[in-house]
Amino acid sequence: MKYAVEIRSLTVIFSSRRGAIKALDGLNLNIKPGQVFGFLGPNGAGKTTAMHVLLGFIAPTSGEARIFGEDVSESIARQRIGYLAEHPDTYTFLTGRELLVMTGHLFLMKGKHLRFRIDEVLNQVELKEGADRRIATYSRGMMQRICMAQALINDPDLVILDEPTSGLDPFGRMGIRKIITGLRERGKTVFFSSHELSEAELICDHIAILSKGRIVTEGKASDLVEAGESLEKYFMRTVCAHDEDQRSELGDQARILREL
Amino acid sequence: MTRIRTVAFIIWIEMIRKKDVYVLLILLGTLLVALVSLNIFGLGGVVGYVKDVGLLMAWIFGWILAVNVSSRELPQEETRGTIFPLLAKPVTRFELIAGKWVGSWSIVAFATLVFYLLIMGIVLARGGAFSPVTLVQGYILHCAALGVISAIGIAFSTRMNHDAAASISYVLTGTAFLVIPRIPEFMARETGFGAGALMFLYNLIPHFEVFDMRKRIVHDYGTAGWGTFFLVLAYGILLISLFILVAWLAYRKKRFSRGDLG
Repeated sequence: MKYAVEIRSLTVIFSSRRGAIKALDGLNLNIKPGQVFGFLGPNGAGKTTAMHVLLGFIAPTSGEARIFGEDVSESIARQRIGYLAEHPDTYTFLTGRELLVMTGHLFLMKGKHLRFRIDEVLNQVELKEGADRRIATYSRGMMQRICMAQALINDPDLVILDEPTSGLDPFGRMGIRKIITGLRERGKTVFFSSHELSEAELICDHIAILSKGRIVTEGKASDLVEAGESLEKYFMRTVCAHDEDQRSELGDQARILREL
Repeated sequence: MTRIRTVAFIIWIEMIRKKDVYVLLILLGTLLVALVSLNIFGLGGVVGYVKDVGLLMAWIFGWILAVNVSSRELPQEETRGTIFPLLAKPVTRFELIAGKWVGSWSIVAFATLVFYLLIMGIVLARGGAFSPVTLVQGYILHCAALGVISAIGIAFSTRMNHDAAASISYVLTGTAFLVIPRIPEFMARETGFGAGALMFLYNLIPHFEVFDMRKRIVHDYGTAGWGTFFLVLAYGILLISLFILVAWLAYRKKRFSRGDLG
């Protein structure tokens, strides 16, 4: 079976002045085509690093990663990917429509096909009205939507979303959720990281919890969580069981709360 | 090629919308008009003086703009975070480097053309004349030199921030402009290791003086031989390729991360 994402023994070590930091420690992961895969973990667990390896931003120290069978170091692997970064940074001197034209050109799209696709994604992210305004004038929510639109311009088979709802109001979050649900209905694979566990529980077919650069558990949320337990509680229990630092931090917090 | 063109086009739109070039052009245009209007040593009416000052300013202006634009592009993509969505597309690191070079160089070449036209206008208005072929030759070689400067700026900016890359590019290209042509004089006074070191430096640093046809244009020495012209052009293309290659080697495995290891 050809997986949408295939990661084998992936290790990433960053060198810093304070020594080497192991961001990913022999990570193994398979994502089936059509899955909505939630990648959860505390800050510093290695979620963004794993995504950055898949996108070719970081060459791994060892191990391999493939997207639809293509090695991620090859630019062809990114032909079928859409990516929305955690921070929606883009060329603010362009209008929304110009950004989509430029992005389309990077995928070698042109002419009528590109124009049609731009209108389609603008409708999808509900940004038809502001499309001809400079991005510099957009609100945070509009910025997120135009970045989402550029991630979808090539009609990707795999959409990688790094904390897509971070910093958004409930309406913005609902909009993103709607887009993800729409992608699932069209058989697309969605790989997303989030700290919004209730959101992940709601839309993911499959979740994996990452701690200290390793997956500590994965499966369907409904199979993992015990009866009467929330995903948040399960998440904290699981992370604390594998991470001494998180455990002591949580212990401190619990003690402070008790004292209060 | 489409991807290289797209990356270059983004630089053009940014320069046009942010109006950096206009400000610099207006400033230098004003300075040029003011300078040629001054009657220094009674030379104000001499057309050759106007050509000389104008072309010197075109070279200085092109140099400043080439270093600034080229050394800014890659670090700016990183600081504003746009490098992430850009590299998430099927764009190779080479295409990115090449696109940045094409964009930076073409803007500088265009701005220099505007400046040449301004100088020509002033000279013609004062009753002077140019040999059009010599002027075109001079402009093409000037553009080749600007291409080399842009490639140097990009090469340094692959591993440095904008300020550092611009400073080192100014020092290197400034040294190449001002000191390198004088090295043979220094070598004549040196022996042994000193002479060897100077010879090494002389061959290592690009020779920008070969691209400079100002004297030929100002004093109407006539067109350069076509053989020499194409040889110098080939030298320029070789240097550009070399610095683009260096930039790509430094950039192809560069890791991009936000700093947090989330």
